[in-house]
Amino acid sequence: MSTEQQTATPMVEVRNVHKRFGNLEVLKGINLTVDRGKIISIIGPSGSGKSTLLRSVNNLEVIDDGVILLDGVQVNRPDMKGMAFERHINHIRQNMGMVFQHFNLFPHMSTIDNVTLAPRKLKGMDKKAARELGMEQLERVGLAEKADVFPNWLSGGQKQRVAIARALAMKPKVMLFDEATSALDPELVEEVNQVMRSLADEHMTMLIVTHEMSFARDVSDWALFMDGGVVVEESAPDKLFSNPDQERTRNFLQKHLENNK
Amino acid sequence: MEFDFSAVITYFPTLLKGVGVAALVALAVALMSVLGGLVVAVISIYTNKVVSAPLRFFIWLFMTTPLLLQLYFLYFGLGEWILIPAVVVGILGLGFHYMAYNADIFITTIKSVSGGQYEASRSLGFGHWRTILYIIVPQAFIRSIPQLGNNMILMVKDTSVLSAIGVAELVYASQYAISVSFRPFEFFIVIAAMYYVINIVMELGQAWLERQTSYRH
Ligand SMILES: Nc1ncnc2c1ncn2[C@@H]1O[C@H](COP(=O)(O)OP(=O)(O)O)[C@@H](O)[C@H]1O
Ligand SMILES: [Mg+2]
Repeated sequence: MSTEQQTATPMVEVRNVHKRFGNLEVLKGINLTVDRGKIISIIGPSGSGKSTLLRSVNNLEVIDDGVILLDGVQVNRPDMKGMAFERHINHIRQNMGMVFQHFNLFPHMSTIDNVTLAPRKLKGMDKKAARELGMEQLERVGLAEKADVFPNWLSGGQKQRVAIARALAMKPKVMLFDEATSALDPELVEEVNQVMRSLADEHMTMLIVTHEMSFARDVSDWALFMDGGVVVEESAPDKLFSNPDQERTRNFLQKHLENNK
Repeated sequence: MEFDFSAVITYFPTLLKGVGVAALVALAVALMSVLGGLVVAVISIYTNKVVSAPLRFFIWLFMTTPLLLQLYFLYFGLGEWILIPAVVVGILGLGFHYMAYNADIFITTIKSVSGGQYEASRSLGFGHWRTILYIIVPQAFIRSIPQLGNNMILMVKDTSVLSAIGVAELVYASQYAISVSFRPFEFFIVIAAMYYVINIVMELGQAWLERQTSYRH
C-alpha cells in the first residue's frame, strides 16, 4: 500500500448503518467518517441513537445493515459465524478504546491491574513491562499515585480517568467516548475533559458522544447532530454550534441552552 | 447428678483423632463443593438447556432430599457395585449436597454482576469465556463469601451425620468411648464444646475474608 493510500484510508468509516430493536428502528442509515487524528463529536437529544451508533462501531450492538470499517478492515462481518467471528471481533476491539458513561472499572482489581489486565492477558506482556506501561498510562491521566488503590476508593472523575488509561494501555487506533462525563458531579467534569483535551493534543483519533456543547465545540474537528436515528446536520463545530442550517438543530441547541442556564 | 470427666480424658486422643477426620472431611468437602458449585453455576448460566437442565435438576434433587438419605443412597447404592471406603462416600455425599447449595448462591451472585462489567471486558478485546473467568467469576466469588461461609459452617456440623455410615469422625469416635464408660453427657458436653470452637474459628475466618474483600466490590 502506498503512503498516499494509507493517509487516505479513514480510521473509522460507517456506511449506511441500520439498527433495529424489535420494531423500533434506532439507526436509519447512518454515514460517518473519522479521519486519522481527527476528533468527531456527536450531539443530539436523549434517545436519538448516539450510544447505539457508538456501540455499533465496536460491535457491542450488532447492526442489521450497512458496513463499519476500522482502518480499512470491516468490523461487522455478517458472513462470519461462531468462533471465527469471536476471534475476529476480539482482535478488532483490541484496536478500539471504549469509555463508558458509568466507567465500568473492575472493582476487584487495583487501579494498575485494571490498566494492565488486557496488555498482560491479550498481548502476553510480562508483569514488569506491563507495570511500566500501566504507570505510563496512569501518569498520562495524572493518577500515577493511585496505582495500587482499588476503584472503590476513587472519585467519579478519577474512576473515569483510570478507565481512559485502561483503554489507552492497549494503544488503540481510535477512542470511543459515550457521555464520559454525564455521570459525574459538575465539579469533576473538567478533570476528565482535560485528559480528553490532552489526547486531542496528541492527535488521538476520537469519536465523542457528549452533551457538553462548549467542550465539543472546542475540541472537535467536525460535529454531527443526530435526531431520530438520522444525522440531521453535520459541519465544522463553529458553524454547527453557532449557525446551524437546520431548524431541528437550532431548536435542540436552544433548548439545551435554556436547560443549562 | 455428678459429672466425672476422667473417661473423657482417657479417650481424649480418640476424640482428637475424630476432630482430625472431621476436619479433613470438611476441607475436602469445602474444596469440592465450592469449586464444583462454581462450575455448576457457570455451566448452568452460560450454556444451553441441554447441558444446564440436568444440572438444575441435580441442584433441585440435592436441595429437596435429606442429607442422610443421600448418604445411604450413595453408600448402599454404590456399595452394590464397587467397594468404596465410607469416608470417600461421605465426602462425595456431603460434597454433592453442598455443591448444590453453593451453586445456588453462585447463580445469584454471577447474575448480579452488572452487564457493564461484561461489556467493558469485551470492549478491551477479551472473549466471552475469558471475560467470565477474569471479570465475572471473581466478582461473583467475592459477593458469595458471606453465604458460602454460612454454608460451610453448616457443613462442618453436618460431618457428624457421616457417623451413620461409619466414618470415624468426632461423634462416631465418641460412641465406643461412651458405650464402655457410661458417661454420655460428659462426652456430649466436650464434643459440643469442640464444635463450638471450630465454629468460632470459622466465623473469624469468614469475617477476615469479608474484610479483605469488602472494598473490592
Ligand atoms: N438494548 C435495547 N433494547 C431496546 N431498545 C433499545 C436498546 N438500546 C437502546 N434502545 C432504544 O434505542 C433508542 C436509542 O437509544 P440510545 O442509542 O441509547 O440513544 P442516546 O444514546 O442517543 O440517548 C432509544 O429509544 C432506546 O430506548
Ligand atoms: Mg446514550
